[in-house]
Amino acid sequence: MRLGGRAAAVAAGPTAVGLMGARLPDVDGRTQAFQQWRGKVLVVNFWATWCVPCREEIPAFIKVQNRWGGQGLQIVGVAIDENDKVRPYAAQLKINYPILVGGLDGIDLARQAGNRLGGLPFTVIFDRRGNPVHSQLGGAMTQEKLEQFIRPLL
Amino acid sequence: MMMPCLNRASTRTASSALAVCMALLVCSAPVEAQLLPLARVLELSAGGAGAVGAAGEARGCRDVAGCDSRREQGARLILAAAESAPGESAGDAGGALSKLRSLTRGNEIEDQFLPLDKAFKVEVKVKDAQTLVAEFTPADTYYLYRDRIRFAVPKESDISIARVSIPPGEMKSDPNFGDTEVFHKPFQAVITLDRAQSRDALRLLVEARYQGCSEKGLCYPPAKRSFDLTLAAWQPPAALASDLSSPKANASAPTIATSRSEVAGTTAGSGSDALPGDKASAQNETSKVAGLLKSGSFWVVVVSFFGAGLLLSFTPCVLPMVPILSGIIVGQGHRVTKRQAFTLSLAYVVGMAITYTLAGIGAGLSGTLLSNALQNPWVLGVFAALFVVLSLSMFGFYELQLPSAFQSKLSDTSNKVKGGTFWGVFIMGVLSALIVGPCVAAPLAGALLYINQTRNAVLGGTALFALALGMGIPLLAVGLSAGTLLPKAGAWMQTIKNLFGVMLLGLAIWIISPVIPSSVHMLLWATLLIVSAIYLHAIDPLPHNASGFHKLWKGVGVIALLLGVALLAGALSGGRDILQPLAGLRGAGAAPVDLSGQPKFERVHSLAELDQRVAQARGRAVMLDFYADWCVSCKEMERFTFADPQVQARMSRMLLLQADVTANAEQDRELLQRFGLFGPPGILFFGPDGQEVERVRVIGFQPAEKFVGALDAVLGSS
Repeated sequence: MRLGGRAAAVAAGPTAVGLMGARLPDVDGRTQAFQQWRGKVLVVNFWATWCVPCREEIPAFIKVQNRWGGQGLQIVGVAIDENDKVRPYAAQLKINYPILVGGLDGIDLARQAGNRLGGLPFTVIFDRRGNPVHSQLGGAMTQEKLEQFIRPLL
Repeated sequence: MMMPCLNRASTRTASSALAVCMALLVCSAPVEAQLLPLARVLELSAGGAGAVGAAGEARGCRDVAGCDSRREQGARLILAAAESAPGESAGDAGGALSKLRSLTRGNEIEDQFLPLDKAFKVEVKVKDAQTLVAEFTPADTYYLYRDRIRFAVPKESDISIARVSIPPGEMKSDPNFGDTEVFHKPFQAVITLDRAQSRDALRLLVEARYQGCSEKGLCYPPAKRSFDLTLAAWQPPAALASDLSSPKANASAPTIATSRSEVAGTTAGSGSDALPGDKASAQNETSKVAGLLKSGSFWVVVVSFFGAGLLLSFTPCVLPMVPILSGIIVGQGHRVTKRQAFTLSLAYVVGMAITYTLAGIGAGLSGTLLSNALQNPWVLGVFAALFVVLSLSMFGFYELQLPSAFQSKLSDTSNKVKGGTFWGVFIMGVLSALIVGPCVAAPLAGALLYINQTRNAVLGGTALFALALGMGIPLLAVGLSAGTLLPKAGAWMQTIKNLFGVMLLGLAIWIISPVIPSSVHMLLWATLLIVSAIYLHAIDPLPHNASGFHKLWKGVGVIALLLGVALLAGALSGGRDILQPLAGLRGAGAAPVDLSGQPKFERVHSLAELDQRVAQARGRAVMLDFYADWCVSCKEMERFTFADPQVQARMSRMLLLQADVTANAEQDRELLQRFGLFGPPGILFFGPDGQEVERVRVIGFQPAEKFVGALDAVLGSS
């Protein structure tokens, strides 16, 4: 892992309390706001390329996004990492959901969302009204487990 | 929290107790309580839309990674776990946040994982004026990445880091990143400072950076901890070969704050040096005695050794010497006057004392114990035979008389104490001092260790002399009275002689006990006791007018008979311990000795090899067993203790090394000397940090139950 670029973190740091009000740049540098996904079942996954258990989960997320994306599911990845690592990795794995780059500061966002230990991976599931219904810290998220939570929300 | 865990770990239910303790340790306090003191909680007040932004500016982080640390270096953490419910906003975001908090509070998966400070314990300490040692302790199932370990010092301090030595880690294969080196077990990194620019004593803020994960599937972002250390003034060595390696520029991290100079770990893999271990809590007898010698004033030490000697004289090692001496005196017959008896005793004691002192000084200065060379089966057998022959004389099979030439000489010089007899006894004293066995070995080894270490032969020699004198006091007393107590004639004289004869036989048995199997040992004692019992009329009916003494002897005879029978039964039923002969009959204990599951020892032949093996085994406890072909208690450990499944279960968690010092070659002696041992048996342990666990040393045979306790103490402290 390498220490992230400080400049990127400050400029694009979260400007509002709470995850749903946050804004972060994506891999192409464009700022994205979480608010745009309101109305969908939102799964926010905090991960990093230097985090082996995080990488192991991503195929499951890809599968779930494929299957349920049409019915209103949106998975968003927040990489606690540098863009020059994240971008090639996302491309290589053909990640089919938006990846936002939080830099190493992004872990604070995860902490706000309930990640007390500050570890990765960390996943939060919001319902269509923007209320968090489930979070998981660590451990590999499986397709079955994800579906178990998102199905009732869709 | 850990204290009761360790105590419990020393009982037989160690594994279950340890499991309970581990669970308690992980789940002991609510995570909030653990994290709160470490961070300043920024209360998210109502409508605090700008709160996070403000916090971001107010962070004052020096560089990126600093924001994730929990230390006071200007990093403030926004803890979602703030308990302040009333302060929350009515806004959507705040409400959502509070709902999320309440959701995650009880998330059981979170409770599986430890907060960073508990998952990875880090300590940086000063070793000397230019060296620091950083100790990393990952918790069980957590690991640190070797190449993520960095250290930094403030540039304004004029000190830079010359070199960082991190031991090699374990290889972990990652499908994406290939092989990485990680540490699951505690390790030490040695940081060498360059103090050319700053030689005075000063305070230094050292920052350790590290990153790790849990095997259970959680990774922590890079972490930092700062340590406020005080360094002593530094004297440059005569030949200043400053080993300044330029700070490795981390190519892909261009924004590392240039206000700090930083050096990454080299691949030296030399391991960390041992911190000078001055463990005051050594419970090892040998070290205790050595400690006593060091700390006490001269005469206090000498007097206490005298007292110790007096106590030692009541041990089986010295007390049997009394019959020999008495036997010699008794053998003299009526010629012995009180004065002569006392002088003979004195000769004996002085001979012994001089031997102790000389042998002690000589052995201490040369690092080996003379008796080591004499502890081989043949010599012991000869001495045992000698004692048997002497006992036969006691029983009346023949009369042990000095050659007539000597006898006449004695009669000529009966008032003087010079002559053959005097020197004969003196030499006997000298010789017997060399044959002493285990019960004086520990204090003796301690004294010799001291001499070896401090070269203070004067104190060591004097203390040993006092020890020998103390041991000799009863001999003097007996010598003084034996001549006078014995009547010149009487039927009971033969009984006394018989008693001494039996004691001499017992002594013979004891002398060869180290080289014979336990069962034979027990059988011999059984034979001696039973036959003696018969002679004491144990099973003869008492005549009507039996005297008091007669009854007493019969009682003693009965006891001896029962003891002998118990020993016989024990020997035949597989008992090993002469003091617990019937232990083999107890319960389900007598499992057949299964030698097939013997733990495998790896041989080490030299100090260098040992050091290398211990360094390689960093992270595991190591057991070092000193062995020699003639060391019967070593063999008994193999047969009885190492074969026990409980012992084997614990031994399988350690690296097992064995040093065979039978040849007593240069390398063997070096090995022994390193640990202050004078010969086998000796079992030492090293903790996972590569340091010897000095308070747990096993010298001599230990039955399985006791040995399990020692193993648990070593494993429990790891």
